[in-house]
Amino acid sequence: MLSMKNINKVYQTEKVQTHALRDFDLEVSEGEFIAVTGPSGSGKTTFLNIAGMLESYSSGDYLLDDINVGKLSDNAKADLRNQKIGFIFQGFNLIPDLNLYENVEVPLRYRGIKSAQRKQRIMDCLEQVGLASRAKHLPQQLSGGQQQRVAIARALAGKPRFLLADEPTGNLDSLMARQVMDLLEQINRDGATIIMVTHDPELARRAPRNIQVVDGQLADFTLYQGAPDMHVSSHAAAQV
Amino acid sequence: MFECKPIFNSLLRSKAGAMMLLVQIAITVAIVSNASFIIYDRVQYLKQETGYPEESIFSFSITSFVEDFDQLQQIEIDESVLRGIPGVINAVNLSEIPLSGSGSASSIHTAPPPDTGRGVRAAYVLGDENSVDTLGVKIIAGRNFNQEDVVIQRSPDQVATVAIASKSFVEEMFPDGDGLGNTVFMGPYPVQIIGVVEKMMGPWLKDRKADNFIIFPMVVESTFQKMLVRTEPSERASVMKQVEALMLENNGDRVVSNVIGMDDDKALYNAGDMLMLRMLLVLIVVLVLITALGIYGLTMFNISKRTKQIGTRRALGARKSAIVRYFLIENSMVCSAGLLIGIVGAIYLGDALLKAYSLPALDIMYVVVTAIVVFCISVLSVIIPANRAANISPSIATRSV
Amino acid sequence: MFFYYIDLAWRSFKRTPFVSMLMVLAIAVGIGITMTSLSVYYMMAMNPIPDKSDRLHVVQLNTMDEGQSQGSSDNLPQQLTYRDAMALYQQDFPENKVIHMRSGFAVHLGDSSIKPFLEATRMAGRDFFSMFNLEFQYGGAWSVEQEQNAAQVAVISQSLNEKLFGSENSLGKTFYLDDKVFQVVGVLDEWNLHTRFYDITTGAFSRTENIFIPFSLVPVLEVPSWGNTNGWKYQEINNYQDRLNAEIFWVQLWVELPNEQAKAQYGQFLQAYLSEQEALGRFERETPQYALRNVMEWLDYSNVVSDDNRVLVGLSFMFLIVCLANILGLLLGKFLKRAPEIGVRRALGARKRQVFAQHIVEVSLLGLFGGLLGIGIAQLGLWGVRATENYYSALATMDLSMLLAAPSISIIACIIAGLYPAWLVCKTAPAIYLKTQ
Repeated sequence: MLSMKNINKVYQTEKVQTHALRDFDLEVSEGEFIAVTGPSGSGKTTFLNIAGMLESYSSGDYLLDDINVGKLSDNAKADLRNQKIGFIFQGFNLIPDLNLYENVEVPLRYRGIKSAQRKQRIMDCLEQVGLASRAKHLPQQLSGGQQQRVAIARALAGKPRFLLADEPTGNLDSLMARQVMDLLEQINRDGATIIMVTHDPELARRAPRNIQVVDGQLADFTLYQGAPDMHVSSHAAAQV
Repeated sequence: MFECKPIFNSLLRSKAGAMMLLVQIAITVAIVSNASFIIYDRVQYLKQETGYPEESIFSFSITSFVEDFDQLQQIEIDESVLRGIPGVINAVNLSEIPLSGSGSASSIHTAPPPDTGRGVRAAYVLGDENSVDTLGVKIIAGRNFNQEDVVIQRSPDQVATVAIASKSFVEEMFPDGDGLGNTVFMGPYPVQIIGVVEKMMGPWLKDRKADNFIIFPMVVESTFQKMLVRTEPSERASVMKQVEALMLENNGDRVVSNVIGMDDDKALYNAGDMLMLRMLLVLIVVLVLITALGIYGLTMFNISKRTKQIGTRRALGARKSAIVRYFLIENSMVCSAGLLIGIVGAIYLGDALLKAYSLPALDIMYVVVTAIVVFCISVLSVIIPANRAANISPSIATRSV
Repeated sequence: MFFYYIDLAWRSFKRTPFVSMLMVLAIAVGIGITMTSLSVYYMMAMNPIPDKSDRLHVVQLNTMDEGQSQGSSDNLPQQLTYRDAMALYQQDFPENKVIHMRSGFAVHLGDSSIKPFLEATRMAGRDFFSMFNLEFQYGGAWSVEQEQNAAQVAVISQSLNEKLFGSENSLGKTFYLDDKVFQVVGVLDEWNLHTRFYDITTGAFSRTENIFIPFSLVPVLEVPSWGNTNGWKYQEINNYQDRLNAEIFWVQLWVELPNEQAKAQYGQFLQAYLSEQEALGRFERETPQYALRNVMEWLDYSNVVSDDNRVLVGLSFMFLIVCLANILGLLLGKFLKRAPEIGVRRALGARKRQVFAQHIVEVSLLGLFGGLLGIGIAQLGLWGVRATENYYSALATMDLSMLLAAPSISIIACIIAGLYPAWLVCKTAPAIYLKTQ
């Protein structure tokens, strides 16, 4: 359902050209749960932003559900994000002025769904992350883990088939991180395709497919899925 | 050493905000300097010396609605009744009231028609020998009227043969300085100038010859009469309250109206200028306030945007004074540019106002002083938030917000 | 979506109350000051008789020697001599015309029931009422016969009727003007004329008269003028007959010319009349000069809107610009600080247009608040104007259109100020704000 071929992303500053992604190829099928790892500055976030159509790419082809993203207008990309993609960020990025209910409501608002249907959907999503009872609370009244669960609820609200998570547990302690991870696995079992950027190898190991981005290029470890030990060692080897 | 360059660079990065501040300051300078100059001009006009002790004088009108009585005799009676009121210094029947906005004017010539010679426009009034004393003006050359000069007009050909005139009229009529004793012509009638008054404004302060004023010693029959009364300043109000009743007491077939102090009469005539003055004053005060608040608000924003940066600088050893200085220099840079544009704008605006409307030419001093004042106000509006910024704790740098 | 944006705007307002209040205050003060001067200007410049202003014309004739001036922009006298005004008034063409001048009398009832008082009185032809759209509460204008016979009849205002006769139907009742008895033939309805266009020479914003009597009484009663009398050469004026014949300007004439053709025709007539008068030796001119100005042209020619007022309106708008620059600066700060939130919204599928609309709604809300508060400030300002200058009392008010204009100008101004910050916010790439907070 997601296909990237020869994607290049070049940042042009005054003097320096930086290749964030270099001939990046990736195929993702429906229902996959992929963990993306790699050292800082390797291009993980750039890859995720391009996948989410938050950034454009310099060259190559990116097909999402057989739609060529490169040819889409800004509006069409916004609509596509709204309908197909859910985002989860490291910093949660909840809107502080809005309570939990209203935060989850945001993507539905932009989709123009009627109030009654919205309410049903929002409460379902909050239920799913176990925070329905706190719908009227503001984000700052919640712990980090709870905030991230709200962010996940918000990402789920539009029933996206695609969930992009950028270090979803980066700001959380290990207990909370595990809870968030449980949630993501549950969502994946319910049918959503998930791509998760993380630097935590333990979490990465819980994903069925691991890919590593090094220096803007892809190293795929799907083959070692069944043998976690080998995965770790070869991971370490690759970093040397 | 004042780290001007980095400040300048950071200004360039947030150029829109700086631009707005600059526009604000420029327009403020342009408006305030022009408005304050107009105010100054109007204040000069309103405060000008008229020659009269305005606070001691009041006037009123008497309209008779029955004609079968001796009007000239009635004037004599009225005058003596008025003079009998305690606190009254003198009273006179005058054909027009100075400074009131209502009067008569004519061209006075050096020769009779048909060859009229040179003409000078002047306002004039008719009154008896008490006129000069009641008006409270000072004769600087020649003499006052005496009773023989006064013409009580019983037929149209009886006219005054002498006159007392304001210095400015006499000087304009006779530039060689030989005005006193000389003769001018009002139509075919010769009139000798027997007295010169130092300062005596006519009925219209906005007239381009407001200073040209002549008194003819005449009393004319009319059902509509005006009275001018000079009192002790402290007594004026109480005298004014009595006049209507006293006048009607000795002849009830008439109406006393428009009892008004000379200063109030003048204020009424000048109400438009007073209004302009007040509006401009409000405009200036509020404008400066708004600009100050704008600078304050913008600095607050800049600080909140850079809280972490300031904390980091403090942690790295910047003194409080350095932080304050940073914001002061930043403001001064924008402000100076704004002032420069504002000064040019003010001069252009002044020029445009001069051309389009009847306003005087802008004095450059007003622009300079305004620029300095605006600069000081802008510094003041920065110092408060800058000091707050300087008190940002260095520990904020280590906290991740 | 609109209400969603309103809701978001209100939250944003509450989130930064100080800066929001500062912006509202800035726009309110700007609008308040602007509306104060604009209201006075608007009332001054407003058409006092919209349905007829194109048709009503004031007649000006230059019956002075060449080179003489009355200080007007085209050297024409503002008023007419009595003999010219009468001569034109007595013509059959045009059908509707009115001769008039201002005078005044002592008003009383001939007994001691009311203390005599002075009242300005308009000496007018009987068409005055129909031409200038006056409505009657009782009765009507005097008849043609009464005018021809110089009958002592009067039309009085509602307020004078109240003062003299206690508001009852006073038709046929009598009262005194000086020592002459007058009979009431008509009582006017309320007449609110903000600009007394029919006689600018005695003050464009003075109150309308309370008494109207036939102009034909002028020579009979030897009525004095309470208006301006201007001459241009020395003349012996020893009695009232001299005054009526003199080359002095103190009478006004208005004519109703229904179309351009009538105007051209009347112009030709005036031209012929002037040549004829010149032939009589009254004045020496190279070319006859006359003017027919309609109401708005007349107001403009007479400088009814003062220079001071124009300057104030101009300065007020510049002031408004300062307020806008102020707001623009603050909005930039406020909106850019919110860029991360906008990044999230964009990631969640908001279109640029939606983000833009959200911010425009927000500044419009500020504009609305500012405009409403500005009306309050303008009322305060107008109250100050009325307190300073009694003459402007009728002018220093806001009518409905000005009341609506205040928030409209305010909102438009705020939107203009908000365009750039809103555009800046919606065009920033969302990605950069999402990674870290």
